[in-house]
Amino acid sequence: MQPSSFDSASPVPRFSVSEFLAITNQTLNYAFPKLELVGEVSSFKVSKGKWVFFDLKDASGTVSCFLPLFSLRTALEDGMKVLVSGAPKVTDFGKFSFTIQSVRPLGEGSLKKAFDLLKDKLTREGLFAPEKKRPLPEDLTTLGVISSVNAAGYADFIKILDARWGGLDIRVYNCGVQGASAADELIRALDYFNEQGTVDVIALLRGGGSKDDLAVFNDELLVRRIAASKIPVITGIGHEVDVSLADLAADVRASTPSNAAELLTRDKSAELRRLRGSFSSLKTYLDHYLSTLLETRRAALARAEREILSRLSLIEKELASKRAVLDSLNPENVLRQGYSILTGDPSPGNVVKITTFDKLISAKVTHVQPKI
Amino acid sequence: MSNPKSNSITTKITELDAQIQWFYSDEFSLDEAESRYKAALKLHQEIEQDLSALKNKITVLNVAK
Repeated sequence: MQPSSFDSASPVPRFSVSEFLAITNQTLNYAFPKLELVGEVSSFKVSKGKWVFFDLKDASGTVSCFLPLFSLRTALEDGMKVLVSGAPKVTDFGKFSFTIQSVRPLGEGSLKKAFDLLKDKLTREGLFAPEKKRPLPEDLTTLGVISSVNAAGYADFIKILDARWGGLDIRVYNCGVQGASAADELIRALDYFNEQGTVDVIALLRGGGSKDDLAVFNDELLVRRIAASKIPVITGIGHEVDVSLADLAADVRASTPSNAAELLTRDKSAELRRLRGSFSSLKTYLDHYLSTLLETRRAALARAEREILSRLSLIEKELASKRAVLDSLNPENVLRQGYSILTGDPSPGNVVKITTFDKLISAKVTHVQPKI
Repeated sequence: MSNPKSNSITTKITELDAQIQWFYSDEFSLDEAESRYKAALKLHQEIEQDLSALKNKITVLNVAK
């Protein structure tokens, strides 16, 4: 840029203030179109709910930093170590400032602090409320997967899914799962599936990694997008011990990608074992039912037989008794005891008939007198 | 959106569970038991075959980023 009021007599360039600021910014932009700074946050403040200001400092220097609030996707607090990317600029008021495009906590302590602060904030907003959680569909047929297809976690997920169940229509949105652009890629993937509306569930997957690698899953915009998803989201991020804000916002948190596969599908081997077990139990039940049925009938028959025999015995006894009475009344038996039967008119001079056990006698009556 | 094959197996499994449950229910009748048992056994064999033949379909989306 040429000075507008160049004085050929002056040995040095001469600029108006505005020109000087413009050329300084041009020079800065040429030298540092984009750069990263590492430092500690100091004097953090949010102005008018729109702008974020803080100083970035180290042992011997301080740089004023600025960014719009919507660009801040992590929680910040004085004392946190951060990595910021952006570009230096001199403002119209001549103040040197670093305009931030992205900021992320650096180091375990700062990551933990940012996690806790954002977790508190989003919890207060109700993003993680249990009543917001939706169950996974029982009959999953179409699944959207957001992951890097080159990641070990994705391979584990597919392997277990294939082993457990089949017939699923799996649509994979391949994207980065770590690094500066990962959060935006993940958000685009979530938006894609929500706009298409063609999957039953979205699985957000990433294998294990360092705290820093997994920090993308604590990105505020990503966490909010997960919570707002119209389609239920399951996360399988890192290892068992790794819990991200994305996990808390998801409808279901799986401890790992493999665990996500387990939660999403039934196990066909277990299903077959269950069905075989049902059949085996049914067979045992029916065997028992039929043997009990037969046994009951057998017992009933035996009871009936005993009853009949008992009644027959009674009848026989009754008959025998009657027979004894009849026998006792039989005249033959009386005659057998020595008695005889006289028939005819027993008047003197008459002939009467006398029947004994073994004889028939005709006798003439000679004398009759009353028995005293 | 749905996969008819997988749905069909799920439906068959539900149907088989119902068929087995019939034997334990008050509707059980000895006259029908044999034919129902054979039908359930046939359905079970079908499910075993379907499950072993069932594969997932994976599509990596070609989405402009």
